[in-house]
Amino acid sequence: MNRTLRRTALLTLLALGTAGAQNYTGPKVQLSFLHGFTGPDRPVMESLVKRFNDTHPNIQVRAQAQPWATTWQQLPSLVASGRAPDVAVINEDQITGFVARGAVSPLTAAELRTAGIDKARFFGPLFATADYQGQSYGVPISSVAYVMFYNKDLMRKVGLDPNKPPRTRAEFLQIAQRCTVDKSGKNSTQAGFDPRNLDTWGVSLYNNWVGARAAYAAILQNGGSLIDAKQNAAFNSPQAVSAVQFLVDLVQKQRVARPNSTEEAELAAFSQGKVCMFPSGQWYLDRFETQKMNFGVTFMPRVGGTVRDAAWGGSSHLTLPRQRPGYDANKRAAALAFMSWLAQPAQNLTWTATGSLPTQGAVARNAKFETAAISGVFDRLNSVYATSGFPWVGQVMVPFDQAWEAAYLGKKPVAQALNDGVREANKQIEQARKNFQQ
Amino acid sequence: MTVTNAPSEVATARAPAPRPRLNIEPYLYLLPHALLFFVFTIYPIGYGLYISLHRWDLLSGRQPFVGGEFYRNIFTPGTPQADFFWKTLWNTTFFTIVSVPLLVAAALGLALLLHKPIFGRAFFRAVFFMPGILTVSVMGILWRWMFDNQIGLVNAARELFFRAPPIPWLSTEGLAWVPIVVGTIWWTLGFNMTLYLAALGNVPASLYEAASLDGATPWQSFRFITVPMLAPVTLFVLVTTALASFQLFGQSLVITNGGPSRSTQSVIQYITEEGFTNAQYSSAAAMGFVFGLFMLVLTAIQFRSMARDVKETGA
Repeated sequence: MNRTLRRTALLTLLALGTAGAQNYTGPKVQLSFLHGFTGPDRPVMESLVKRFNDTHPNIQVRAQAQPWATTWQQLPSLVASGRAPDVAVINEDQITGFVARGAVSPLTAAELRTAGIDKARFFGPLFATADYQGQSYGVPISSVAYVMFYNKDLMRKVGLDPNKPPRTRAEFLQIAQRCTVDKSGKNSTQAGFDPRNLDTWGVSLYNNWVGARAAYAAILQNGGSLIDAKQNAAFNSPQAVSAVQFLVDLVQKQRVARPNSTEEAELAAFSQGKVCMFPSGQWYLDRFETQKMNFGVTFMPRVGGTVRDAAWGGSSHLTLPRQRPGYDANKRAAALAFMSWLAQPAQNLTWTATGSLPTQGAVARNAKFETAAISGVFDRLNSVYATSGFPWVGQVMVPFDQAWEAAYLGKKPVAQALNDGVREANKQIEQARKNFQQ
Repeated sequence: MTVTNAPSEVATARAPAPRPRLNIEPYLYLLPHALLFFVFTIYPIGYGLYISLHRWDLLSGRQPFVGGEFYRNIFTPGTPQADFFWKTLWNTTFFTIVSVPLLVAAALGLALLLHKPIFGRAFFRAVFFMPGILTVSVMGILWRWMFDNQIGLVNAARELFFRAPPIPWLSTEGLAWVPIVVGTIWWTLGFNMTLYLAALGNVPASLYEAASLDGATPWQSFRFITVPMLAPVTLFVLVTTALASFQLFGQSLVITNGGPSRSTQSVIQYITEEGFTNAQYSSAAAMGFVFGLFMLVLTAIQFRSMARDVKETGA
């Protein structure tokens, strides 16, 4: 494993070169680097850091892996006491909160230029995830997204072209209807169809937070947003209601999705060839590949509306935490050089071995991905939007996920579920604002 | 008064007691624990109290004093804290009310069965105790799968034997408690059972012999010998089980994630959400204190009523 990894690393280095400035020329410094890649991605990160140390004799990076949640709890006290790590990785749902509370220092345009970090190289919304009020605070190194898996065998079986995944609402609905077949062989558009005795069905919807990301995508696709210009919750706009209504209708009117389902149940159904389309996190890719399923991956089709392509994404960003006054300028320059190096195409290509999506077009165009299933989403990676840009992500997402649950399970009409969610979120935001008015 | 006081005054006057010398030896023995107690209990409580009375955020330069604002939120109708703290506290109480009697009764029943010299006794004791060694995540995922709305074993069995449609256990208010309660009983029963088994071994056989000579029925032996003799253990089991049930966290987090609509969310899960998802540390600390006080009062009541019983029955 390690050897293959090293060989891949070497090859990618040769293939992509080491473009960009890594021009730290100061005295030898030691940097602490805190990240949360504690799973199978840990050895990949460690080998990258080792490679950096081997090739940069005047910078010594000491990496520490610790679970994300621990870092979110510790970072405030580390920053407050002036003992923050030189470089820390912060995820998309936490970054704006830390930025707004002053835990992260801005990366000036001059610094980015000197370090050779060109934001235009990255997917726009991904880089902007760590932006706040016109300033950049982080550089993306890892990215996941909500995608749509589809079962090619099942699509062929019901007479559909397995190499034409849906892009529009009409195409999506047609596939979903054709795939929904009852035990007597009638599909959902035919007379006498019995939705209570399904053999196969069109699309997986489910009630947890991952399931709620279908609603998130639909709302953004219809021109809606989770928050308004004042950063209050606004996922009950007419665009949002109409987009979520379409999804709920898939269950209640079109009968092409199962009611009361769970992520596990739909995952099992997709693995067993019972459902044509399974929207979920791209992290399931490995599982379907291991299973040798005949499946494809595509970007979330425009089910919510026609305004734009959109899907949810999660990401990890290299940041420079706020340091005590008199912090060594050489350390900051070295830290920027390290960030720049780690975000290079060569390193990002190595990193995609962990299951991460490319952070930039140059990596997505690499020959390695030509036959990979995941490249089905690469044409629209510029439309992946994280839940960031407002400092109260938790206050918005918890009520949002619950609103989706209530709407999907049919416990409340869509508009009421979303209104209730927005009301709760805004009460929480009103309280949270007080923390920022000091 | 003067009369009663007089002799002692006289006594003092006559023979002044030697000034008691401060003997530090016992305090030295207490010191190691006292240190840990102060560092890990008293100091955090004091600091927590400070946090709950201030708008506390380490990242902001100031931690302004806000008095009882975060305590008032809990009691002001319409705030998220008033809505969810009491709702989740009730959820937790409901879980305790349902699960404690089941856990105590079932543990006693099993202990009575496995106390008898039946075939494979040690094997069964091990079987019933074994789930307790699992972590809560393993146990939670197991029961979430068992009761899955679509593919769970329970629904599969219902369909196989009764041709009944699947029940959406995990997403129906009320029913969502079933996997949590059943799973918890399965998970923690063995511990209480072991306590009862040990206590049963200490009940003198002569009592039962005497009772049977007097013509007592098995029920009478159980009611008038076993139950009173087990009273101290029952007190212990009740108090520890009730406290453990009030600390419900992992089971509902893993099995239902508190859903649907917070109907199975435990108060600790809500406090965690307030603290670490909403970054409202002071509010979470305040709720922690209110909940802690609630538990303290409850345990005191339990001890008083039960301790009286134990004393009265003379065990």
